[in-house]
Amino acid sequence: MMSGRALLGRLAPWLACLGLLGVWQIAALILDTESFPTAWQAVRAIPSILGDKESLINILASLRRMAIGFGVGVMMSIPLGLMMGRSRGVASFFNPLLMVIYPVPKAALMPIIMLWLGVGDVAKTLVIFLGVSLPVIYHSFQGAKAVEEKMLWSGAAMGLSAAQRMIRIVLPAALPEILTGCRTGLVLALITMITSEMIARQSGAGNILFNALDMGQYDTVYAMIIIVGAMGIGLDAAFENLRGRLVKWSEPGFDIPLSFA
Amino acid sequence: MNVRAVTSDVLLGIVPIALLIALWQALVSFGYAPATLLPPPGLVFMRLVHQLSTSEYQQEIAATLFRLFSGFSIAVILGVAIGLAAATHPAVNAVVRPLVRVLAPLPKVALYPALLLLVGFGHESKILLVVADALFPILLSTYYGASMVEQKLIWSAMAAGTPRRQILFKVVLPAAVPSILTGCRIGLVISCIVVFLAEMITSTDGLGHVLVTAARTFQAVDMFVPLITISLLGLILNGLLEGLRTYLLRGFPEV
Repeated sequence: MMSGRALLGRLAPWLACLGLLGVWQIAALILDTESFPTAWQAVRAIPSILGDKESLINILASLRRMAIGFGVGVMMSIPLGLMMGRSRGVASFFNPLLMVIYPVPKAALMPIIMLWLGVGDVAKTLVIFLGVSLPVIYHSFQGAKAVEEKMLWSGAAMGLSAAQRMIRIVLPAALPEILTGCRTGLVLALITMITSEMIARQSGAGNILFNALDMGQYDTVYAMIIIVGAMGIGLDAAFENLRGRLVKWSEPGFDIPLSFA
Repeated sequence: MNVRAVTSDVLLGIVPIALLIALWQALVSFGYAPATLLPPPGLVFMRLVHQLSTSEYQQEIAATLFRLFSGFSIAVILGVAIGLAAATHPAVNAVVRPLVRVLAPLPKVALYPALLLLVGFGHESKILLVVADALFPILLSTYYGASMVEQKLIWSAMAAGTPRRQILFKVVLPAAVPSILTGCRIGLVISCIVVFLAEMITSTDGLGHVLVTAARTFQAVDMFVPLITISLLGLILNGLLEGLRTYLLRGFPEV
């Protein structure tokens, strides 16, 4: 009996996907316009995109840029966020700057960065890096701020240096919160990736998507939307799995990620 | 002590911004960057002040703000309603949870071409994109805020004779307000970002369009102006929301 419920819980996201596709199919059949193909037509167009060597290389290049931008962003943001969380001075030094940068869409910096660095990989990766950094810094900051003082005092009493306390006490204690930030950052990296490629039309998944829109290949447009959406959902699920292993001891605060643009 | 600590914090916070502008100025004055690529900050701010006083630029700002507010308000109404419903009705919860799980990590910008094809190139597609992106943070924080409400509060209200249907508005909603406002804050920042991006992709007006036009004609100065404007707008709106928060939460203990 219990396995029945558990099975339903596991299947629920898949059922939701199927339901959405079903609603799409019905809506397309009712509206019946050329610019809104049915879900089935869009799904059928997927193999031809993934089978095409050039598009596949493009999509993989996008993913590589995203991985680099995300990796570097996380590496640099976690230490900064932790230091901000533990030191009032560092926090008040960086906070206003971050507040000014926050509402600026990172992908909108693309035209300016393109002027300096060209349209190549560097510019796009840099934009992804910027987009990932802010949520990771913010969540690491919140996580480090909430660490119990007593644990730090005990650590200090046992002779840990400040750096050791940071790595052995603050980092593990803030890890659940940091991973929440990384999860938001992951979704954000995907979004920034698409937008940056859309602005610098040269290569990548975003380029395929918007070129198809310009050329009126509606099946390809919707198929790309499904592919990009599946990438988002897949990456998120994979990260959630990893997170479950890393911080098994902690209750998941948000079991659904917050996505940014 | 408090006032002094706050002033020193503010002063410390101005330092990196000042350093950034100084670095910017230095890059230009020592000739590391040609003025066509990186215009000096003075020029950019002069241009910003000049633009802010012209009626054309004000209309661009008005167009952006209209889309931002429409999208954000719809997202708040929908998010709070769905979040409350999901937190209080198990049946709604069973439907909403998996749907949100699938839709929340979906990159919404990728939906924009579909929105363009479906509802056209006008205000509607941009507003819908803002709604799609701002909805989930608000929905989720409403849901978590409402499901964290202490059962004792509800029991007390029922014992005091509050009718069942009023409990939602008299107990659950007020108790969830701090969490809802946190969600609104995230949603607002996202709305700023998304409305700008949507205008960059296809638009005939708005701040994003100003940036794209400037980029096409390589007017570096005009590229910085809309970016600074949206940053300022974000700061002002955030400040307003913060004010609303202190007003609404005046009875709450400091969190």
